Amino acid sequence: MGNFTVTIRKKARYVDPTRCNSCGECAKVCPVVKPDEYQMGLSSRKAIYIPFPQAVPCSYILNMDDCLGNNPIACGKCAEVCEKECINYDDQDELVTREVGAVIVAIGLDVYDPTEMDEYGYTRFENVITSMEFERLICAGGPTGGHFVRPSDRKRPKRIGFIQCVGSRNPEIGRPYCSNICCMNTIKDSLLLADHYPDIECTVFYQDIRAFGKSFEDMFQRSKEAGTRYIRGLPGDITEDPQTRNLTLTVENTTTGALQRHEFDMVILSVGVVPPRDRDKLSSLLTLSKTSDGFFMETHPKLKPVDAPTRGVYFAGFCEAPKDIKDSVCQAGAAASRAGALLNARQIKVEAVTSVINASACKKCGLCAAVCPYGAIKWQKGEVAVVIEAACAGCGSCGATCKFGAITMRHFTDAQYFAQIRAILADKPQEKVFAFACNWCSYAGGDMAGISRMQYPATNRLVRTMCSARVSEEMVLEAFRCGAPVVLVSGCHYADCHYINANRQTVKRVQRLWDRLEKLGIRPERLQLEWISAAEGLKFAKVMRQMEELRQTVTMEEIEHTMQALAPKPKREKKEQEPVEVEA
Amino acid sequence: MATRETFKCMMCGHVYQESVEPGEDKERSCPKCRSNSIRHLKAAGADAGKDG
Repeated sequence: MGNFTVTIRKKARYVDPTRCNSCGECAKVCPVVKPDEYQMGLSSRKAIYIPFPQAVPCSYILNMDDCLGNNPIACGKCAEVCEKECINYDDQDELVTREVGAVIVAIGLDVYDPTEMDEYGYTRFENVITSMEFERLICAGGPTGGHFVRPSDRKRPKRIGFIQCVGSRNPEIGRPYCSNICCMNTIKDSLLLADHYPDIECTVFYQDIRAFGKSFEDMFQRSKEAGTRYIRGLPGDITEDPQTRNLTLTVENTTTGALQRHEFDMVILSVGVVPPRDRDKLSSLLTLSKTSDGFFMETHPKLKPVDAPTRGVYFAGFCEAPKDIKDSVCQAGAAASRAGALLNARQIKVEAVTSVINASACKKCGLCAAVCPYGAIKWQKGEVAVVIEAACAGCGSCGATCKFGAITMRHFTDAQYFAQIRAILADKPQEKVFAFACNWCSYAGGDMAGISRMQYPATNRLVRTMCSARVSEEMVLEAFRCGAPVVLVSGCHYADCHYINANRQTVKRVQRLWDRLEKLGIRPERLQLEWISAAEGLKFAKVMRQMEELRQTVTMEEIEHTMQALAPKPKREKKEQEPVEVEA
Repeated sequence: MATRETFKCMMCGHVYQESVEPGEDKERSCPKCRSNSIRHLKAAGADAGKDG
C-alpha cells in the first residue's frame, strides 16, 4: 500500500521551453496547415504551434507527426528563423521514474461524437454543430473572435435550436446515463446568447431539465425570462433547405401531444460525455474496475466515494462519473486530503479479517488469485499463492472458492460457519428458513425491517457473512444436508458491493448450485438469491414472507431425499497391493 | 455483439429472454416479480418467452 513506482513519459517538444519567448516567427514560416484541435477544427494551426492560449509553459511545440520530416530534414524553415536557436530536431522522449505513495487518477473525459445519430445530420448539415463547437464560436479567443456566425455563410443566425440529451440517457446507443452537465451548459449558453444578441430566438428541446444544483433553478428561470422557449420532446428528424441552408426539426411536443415543425438558422446538439477512451490501459495498471457505463468504480459510492479499490489510489473528476466543475473541484480536494492522510500516517491500520493461506494445503491452482477483487493474492503458475495482507479487504471470496480448504478467513472460518449451520438446524430444521446475509447490506436490511416494526414470519434464521461471496457451495449444501427446507443467499446490490464486485462470484456460485441441485433431483427453487440493501427493510420483510411461503411447499419427503442425496459418500478404502516378489 | 439469452426466475418461475452484451456486468431482476433469483438457462431445455 502506498508504494508505487511510476514511470512517466515526457514527450519530446522539439522546442526548448526555457529559451523560447513565443515570438511566433517559426509558425509564420511553417508551410504545414492542420485543423486546430483546440478550436474543434473550426480554424487551423501550423505544425509548430502553442496548443492553446493558456498553455504552461507558454512556448511552442513541434508536432513531429505533422512536420514535413526531420530525418532527413525536409523543410527546416522554423529552425532557420528562430533567433533564440531553441528548435532541436534531435529531441527525444524522456522516461522519468518516481517513487510515490499515492496516485490520484484524474484523466478526465471524452465528448460524445454524434455522427452516428444520423437523424440529426451532424457532419451532413454544416449548420448543425455540437455544444463544444458552439463554445469555441462564442468565445472571444475562438476562431471568430467571439462573433457568433453560422458556418455555412458566416452570417449571424437569428433562430437557434438546442437539442438536449444527444448521446445521453439513450440505451439504444449504449449510453443510458445522464451526462450531468448538458442541461446547465445549454441554459448558460442561452443566457450568453441573450446577453450578446438580444434579438436571437433560442428554443431548447429536452426530455427533462435537470437543474438541481445551488442557484441552478434560478438560472433556469432567468433563461426563460430572457425569452428562451423550452419544448418538451426530442426531434426525430432534421432536414435542410438547400437554398437557405436553414434547418427544419420535426418533433412531438410531449406536453401537448402535437407533432410540430420548427425552422432554425442553426441547430446546436448538446452532446453528452463518454468515459476517457484510454482508460483501459490505466485500469489494468492500477487494478481498477469499471461500472457498466465504463467509468471507474469507487470502493463505495457513499462511504468511500474518492477511493479506488486499490489502496493508495484516488479518483478526481469525470473519470469516476459525470460531474460538473464544482463537484470535480470538491472531489479533487477530497482525493488530495485522502492522499495526504495516507502519506502522513505513521502506521496504517489494516483489516483484522483477512485471508491466510496454508502453504502445505495449497494445490497451486491459482483460483483464489483469479477471484480476488483487490488483486491481493500473488500467484504464479506452479507456485503457492500468497496473500498481501495490506491489500486484502476480507471479502472471503478466495476462501469460498478454494476447493482444498487451504484458505482460512481470520474470524470467519469455515469451522465457525459449519458450527453455526449445524447448531441452527439441529432442532426442527423443517420449520426454519435458513439465510446467509452479508454484513453491510442484507443483515442491515434485516435490522431496518426490525427497527421499522415491519411484520414478517419469525421462522427465519440468519447467518452473517462479511460478503455474500464468502458463502461457499459447501456451506449451502451443508444447510440442505442438515435438513433446511429452503436456503437464501443475500448480499448487496451490484452498485453497493463493499468489496468492489465480489458479489459477482456469488451469482456464479449460486448458478452452479442450481445446476448441481437439479442434477441430484433436488428442486433448485429451494435455493434463492436476493440483493437487499441496508435501506430495504421492506424488501427484507417481503423476501422473508416469500421464503416462508416457499418453505411451506417443501415436504418432509423432499427434505429426506435431499439429505440422502447430499450425504457424504463413504470413501473407498484403497486395497493394499500385495508385495510382488522379485527373483534375484 | 449482443445475444438473446434465456433466464428463469427461481421465485415465480417466469421464463423470459433478454439481450446480453459480451462481458456485461448487470444486476438482473425478474420483470414480473422483481426477484433477483434469476437463473441463466443454457440453450438446451430453455423454453423461451413462456411462463414456466
